[in-house]
Amino acid sequence: MHLLLLGVSHRTAPVEFRERLDFSARGVGEALAALAARPSGAEAAVLSTCNRAEIYLACEDLEQGQLDAEIFFAEFHRLPREDLRPHLYTKIDLEAVRHLFRVAAGLDSLVVGEPQILGQVKEAYGHASAQRTAGPLLNRLFTAAFTTGKRVRSETSLSDGAVSVSYAAVALARKIFGDLKDRTVLVVGAGEMGKLTALHMKSQGIRRMLITSRTLAHAEALSSVMDAVVVAWDHLAPALSESDIVITATGASAPIISRQLVASAMRSRRHGPLFLIDIAVPRDVDPAAGAIEQVFLYNIDDLQAVVAENLSKRTAEIEEAEAIVTEEVIRFRGWIQSRGAIPTVVALRQRFEAVRRSELARLEPKLTGLPPEARGRVEEITHLIIEKLLINPTEQLKALSDGESIALYAEVVNRLFSLSPGDPPADSDISPHEDLASALAATEPGAKQARRRSTKPPHSS
Amino acid sequence: MHIIPLVLYLAAGVLYAVHFGGRNRQVGRAATPVLVVGVLSHTFVIGMLTMQAGHVPFAGTTPAISTFVWLLALSYLYVELAADERAMGVFIVPLLVVLQAIPAFQAGVEENVSPMLMSAWFGVHVSSLLFAYASFALACVIGVTYVLLFKEIKAKHLGFFYARLPSLDVLDTMNLRAVTIGWVFLTLGVIVGWVWASQARAGGSSDPRLQAMSLQDPKIFVALLCWAVYSFELYAGRAIGWRGRRAAWLSAVGFAIVLLNFLPVSYFFTKSHNF
Repeated sequence: MHLLLLGVSHRTAPVEFRERLDFSARGVGEALAALAARPSGAEAAVLSTCNRAEIYLACEDLEQGQLDAEIFFAEFHRLPREDLRPHLYTKIDLEAVRHLFRVAAGLDSLVVGEPQILGQVKEAYGHASAQRTAGPLLNRLFTAAFTTGKRVRSETSLSDGAVSVSYAAVALARKIFGDLKDRTVLVVGAGEMGKLTALHMKSQGIRRMLITSRTLAHAEALSSVMDAVVVAWDHLAPALSESDIVITATGASAPIISRQLVASAMRSRRHGPLFLIDIAVPRDVDPAAGAIEQVFLYNIDDLQAVVAENLSKRTAEIEEAEAIVTEEVIRFRGWIQSRGAIPTVVALRQRFEAVRRSELARLEPKLTGLPPEARGRVEEITHLIIEKLLINPTEQLKALSDGESIALYAEVVNRLFSLSPGDPPADSDISPHEDLASALAATEPGAKQARRRSTKPPHSS
Repeated sequence: MHIIPLVLYLAAGVLYAVHFGGRNRQVGRAATPVLVVGVLSHTFVIGMLTMQAGHVPFAGTTPAISTFVWLLALSYLYVELAADERAMGVFIVPLLVVLQAIPAFQAGVEENVSPMLMSAWFGVHVSSLLFAYASFALACVIGVTYVLLFKEIKAKHLGFFYARLPSLDVLDTMNLRAVTIGWVFLTLGVIVGWVWASQARAGGSSDPRLQAMSLQDPKIFVALLCWAVYSFELYAGRAIGWRGRRAAWLSAVGFAIVLLNFLPVSYFFTKSHNF
């Protein structure tokens, strides 16, 4: 069994192309059904976000899997395969494992460490589970990816700090006021940036939002979107004394909120803290207002500096996060390898069972005279004998974890019990090798042989 | 005997510091139980001394410090559990360690206690004041952290404390609450002390210390000064908007005076409170 990943992301394709590959339009469920119906039809999962569209397949035949995935990608989105190819990346086995772990950790995101991606990966797995296209390999893979994502979040600061101006403003407001539930926000001006910041504030569940603009119509238009109260422009002063957070984003060429205006507002609000967010250029608030006790004034440059600092802090955490990913990949490899001996175990058990059956068949004439209970006893005893004999070898084989000894043991067991020659121990799983080329070389012949053989032992699960 | 709680407080302090510095949640979770065990062992020590002496051991400055540390640790634990906020531990627990070192390393058993002190009034007087001081210690620490965070936000340099402390609003509320509770107990303690002293005087005791109990005595004078500072803080917060940073500063100044009263004044200057 191999793990195969085909995908397109913000690293390989522009947004115009990515939006044509959005699975959510027709539903990931439908996509999974279509994918499962293809010839290689093994385990499958689809991860679809605005920055990436990825297919994870667990299949026996890499070539067939890749072909299927490509055709599926193209057909599902009604795209010529030639258009798709240059944007598509393919990753196999441990490379694919590492890729998913990095994605879940937020290391492959456009904004490093962004928090939504882990939820999206969970969603992708949820769909695959619901459609029953996730088998043992993908189950384990995604569970390990969640672990990786959670570890990176809790053990590093990769996701700390706001990395957009409007989020930085919200984070600051929360650091000043704590809970924003009882707070009033005043939006001055109807600019796009102000609106965005106000929307973020709104999502914090603020008590009341006031909007004022020199052009009343603009304020009214915005107020309907924001569920806010429109305040007349000449009522700016009283509105200021009612508000805790003020967002200014007008196109005015000179400051409209003077130091005096703020000072008198502070008196009437009994010097409760006031957070002024001035995201207009040129500035709307007189910088001198920031010197007043309990007034916190941030302009666009200040917020951008906060964002830049947060981004650089995240960058500093990347190395640590990558180390966690590597640790988890190694752990996953250990799991894969512990499954490497399973075909040998299965073959051995089948061999023993076959001998038992044939011996019972051979003795059939002598057993016919026995009463049914005695025959049942014979069945039971012979079965118990081989179970007893197999306990130790099974445990020993399952405990093996490096490819070399798995191959050696398989060889020995094959010879000793004349199991079907050439039944390769590593063919039913991902190769443990990090190096892709050697991984392919080590597993490819086995995989092909396995396909040719009709009596291939069933997969362990 | 005071050394066991001291060692545990020290261990908890190290854990709180590691938790705060490295923002390591697991270490933070480990710090609380260590502090709890410290407080329990301290409770045991105080209980033993009470059994031994037949009364709660806060006659005399050194036992009073031990009781104060115990109350402060309890109050802090209450705040930590109520607010689910461990950031303050790194500031409070070192204070516990430093103060606990005094009873831990000061040799000597309690001397004979003046029969004058075997009064319920005295017990109420001392315990309310110690509890008030513990509240003020908390308020001071909260105030200091408020100022640290305030400076970072005001200077637009969001750094170490920004990432670790709760919001300014939470700190301000906690400060106000601690000062209010402290003020109530300080007032109670002073009034009870006054009532007790006048009763003792009326009872005809001729103890020279009793005669020295007046406003001229530094211990009493400084206690009333504290009362004035905290009364002003509470009044100014309501009346003239002195919340936030100014209130935080007042809490810090107030506790500096408390410490002054508690240590140098008690040990060296007072003529009335040297039991």
